[in-house]
Amino acid sequence: MTRFITRRIGAALLLLVGSVLVTFGLTAILPGDAATARLSEQAASDPEIVAAMRAELGLDQPLYKQFLIYLGNLVQGDLGDSVQSGNPVLEDLGQFGPASAELALTAMIIALIVGGGLGVLSALRANGVIDNVLRALSLGGVSVPLFWLALIATSVFATQLRWFPSSGRLDAGAYAPDTVTGFYTIDSLLAGDIAMFGEAIRHLVLPAIVLAAPMIGLLLRFTRTTVLEVLSQEYVRAAEAKGLRRSRVIGGHVLRGALVPLITVIGTAFASLLAGTVLVEQIFVWPGIGSYAYRAASNLDLTAIVGVTLFVSVIYITVNLVTDILYGIIDPRIRYAS
Amino acid sequence: MRIRTSMAAAAVAGIAAVTLAACSSSTASDSSAAASSDDETSTLVIDKSFDLVTADPARMFETTGGIVLHAVYDSLLTFADGDSTTPLPSVAESWTSNDDATVYTFTIREGITFSDGTDLTADDVVFSLNRVKNIQGNGSFLMEGLSVSKVDDMTVEITSETSNTAVPAIVTSPTLGIVSEDAVEANGGTDAEDAADTDAAEEYLNSESAGSGPYMIESFDTTTETVLVANPDYWGDAPEYDRVVLRNATADAQLMDIQSGTADVALDLGSDQTASLEGNDSIVVSTSASPTFFFLILNADSGVSDVTSTQEFRDAVKYGLDLDAILELAGEGAEHAYGVVPNTFLGALGSDSAVEQDLDKATAAVEALGGDITVSLEYPSDISSNGLDFGPFAERIAAQLSEIGITVELVPSPVATALENYRAGTEEMGLWLWNPDYPDSADYLAFGPGRTVGLRAGWAEGTAADLESIMTEVAAETDADTREELYVEYQELMNEYGVIVPLFQPSATVVSTSTVGAVDYDPVFSLDIAAIGK
Repeated sequence: MTRFITRRIGAALLLLVGSVLVTFGLTAILPGDAATARLSEQAASDPEIVAAMRAELGLDQPLYKQFLIYLGNLVQGDLGDSVQSGNPVLEDLGQFGPASAELALTAMIIALIVGGGLGVLSALRANGVIDNVLRALSLGGVSVPLFWLALIATSVFATQLRWFPSSGRLDAGAYAPDTVTGFYTIDSLLAGDIAMFGEAIRHLVLPAIVLAAPMIGLLLRFTRTTVLEVLSQEYVRAAEAKGLRRSRVIGGHVLRGALVPLITVIGTAFASLLAGTVLVEQIFVWPGIGSYAYRAASNLDLTAIVGVTLFVSVIYITVNLVTDILYGIIDPRIRYAS
Repeated sequence: MRIRTSMAAAAVAGIAAVTLAACSSSTASDSSAAASSDDETSTLVIDKSFDLVTADPARMFETTGGIVLHAVYDSLLTFADGDSTTPLPSVAESWTSNDDATVYTFTIREGITFSDGTDLTADDVVFSLNRVKNIQGNGSFLMEGLSVSKVDDMTVEITSETSNTAVPAIVTSPTLGIVSEDAVEANGGTDAEDAADTDAAEEYLNSESAGSGPYMIESFDTTTETVLVANPDYWGDAPEYDRVVLRNATADAQLMDIQSGTADVALDLGSDQTASLEGNDSIVVSTSASPTFFFLILNADSGVSDVTSTQEFRDAVKYGLDLDAILELAGEGAEHAYGVVPNTFLGALGSDSAVEQDLDKATAAVEALGGDITVSLEYPSDISSNGLDFGPFAERIAAQLSEIGITVELVPSPVATALENYRAGTEEMGLWLWNPDYPDSADYLAFGPGRTVGLRAGWAEGTAADLESIMTEVAAETDADTREELYVEYQELMNEYGVIVPLFQPSATVVSTSTVGAVDYDPVFSLDIAAIGK
């Protein structure tokens, strides 16, 4: 098992180095000049100012030197300074990361409960009316564009009904709770501020549901298929034949059997969720990594772009690593096969 | 069926939690509107698509930065009530100039204190202006050819190398806002000649205010929101709102926010979006002319294009375009740009200078070029201004020119990429916009040969002697009437050459809630926060 985990971690580290290299290379060959992109019309016409800006950003160095400098700093935990915010990228990630994490985890929980739960229900009612309706809905969840869903959600629930706010993590101008975890829901509870907790929840509802929608669809369909497969297994039939109560068969045998493939799909679903945050955060004015990344890309803020990519890669690779390891623990055949 | 029971329980609990959260909601509109009417803190929430980089006046040259810093830092002079023709006293209570407009003397108002309680004197003015000049930032060009010196504690002198009638307009810029010398120096700032390398006060100025304006910075974030609080010791009339939250939001989000009441003011809605607000009694839409203007460049450098550099091609475009149809696309409130100087500035051309579409002349010009002409038109695809994207205009221009035998290949690209070609002067044709750097017609000399935009259009110095002599003359002219005549002449000649083709000025729209009342677009500062609600 130790060897299995070591090899997986080694592969993850290689992937990480690869992703830095690719991102750095891609941003370097992007058309556009990051130095003049930051300058006003008049200043960009002054060669001295342009040269000074290029030197300030390190763009006057050959590309391989820029990369080596970046790697050297990276090893020391320095991701460089963002051109747009003026802050170290690591500091920005620390500021915006928790907002995205709170949103993504909430979406994940919603998707797991709703998607998983409805998937089981769909399987248990296979080919019935409920199953057909749920399958149709899941198809909708997977195929409806996020931006459209977000616009409908904000239009109905924020603009018309005014049940939930359409933007921000708290009401505009509200003071954020003292930072402990960076999750406003948790930090407000730790501060004993129930009103702020409610406010934070209300702000989370719409973006989290929109973000969760495709995952709900995906998990519903996958859980349904997996549960149906497990239901047809010999050991389940044997358990039923032994006269065990159906609820016990499902709880003790079916769900357990369905868990292994489900863990894998959660990893995949999480990746699509990360991609979705960029769009959802933009629409809901959610001050997270997605908004930060969008802005960095629009402004050719190369250090921020590489920093965000690295950050997302770390999360993605970690999730996959944990998934692999969990998978190996739950199903020993996988670790021996590898 | 334990599973189904627990699932149902979970679902009910979830729905209950969401419903409770919804029922307990009080929209931000309630909070801000209520706050604005109670005795505690009145908060104003403004949505704006951010182009915010810094809160250091000497380094700032962006629209959002200008909005913020105009509220935080006083300048020597200012403009008010949307009038961009008459500079008004601010830090300087009066000023004079010599006959040839090379020396300006400003008398500083007594009793102005910075937000930390220290007095504002001539030393602070000299320090602030020199710091801008020496930091070599985006706004340093404002001080080009100018030098500032202290006459006594309450008098400063600005000297220009050449006659410069634009100085009073230039010193209204938030970039030239007056900072406290003591506070900035104590935090790493300097106005020395090597300030570009040695000044380290930006971080301090991004978190604290060192100004004397009606507001102070409570928190500054270039990505999410920036919060201002009223300066209790402000020397002028106190602003209406105690606290102002400026939030970064896309135009779509702004529309939702203003409708749901989570924002009080929205700044970036296009005409389609504001049209959807018609009939909504809780919303006020204020529209006025924007000094921004859209234009085409037809590259005059034969090395870049042997087509666009010909007078025949310029004539074909001049007579081939239907400017009324282009203006229609810009929506309600947009206006024709008959010359490069916008209609709010001295010497702007009127409709009598309009070029009438003449397809016969245009076709003849194309035939003179041998027909079957293909040119490329570059423009930024990912930015909009006043709610307008460049794409539809480029398409309409291409459609109109195709009718006279010119094939226009559209080359949209992200602004960062498009800007590179534009600034390098390698675009055959380009569709761009210009926002004034300072509210004076002199800013539009940048379109002439050898100047910033002229060079981008491949128009080198010395290629249009008649035009260039007018440019030199108007820069030195102090008599307002003569200046006006010269600007008219300058633009008429510009139109004859046709290297720059002015298209239109969009309308500027500010949408606000009825609680706040009408908020006017400010042609100089985009938004004068301290004037809202007064």
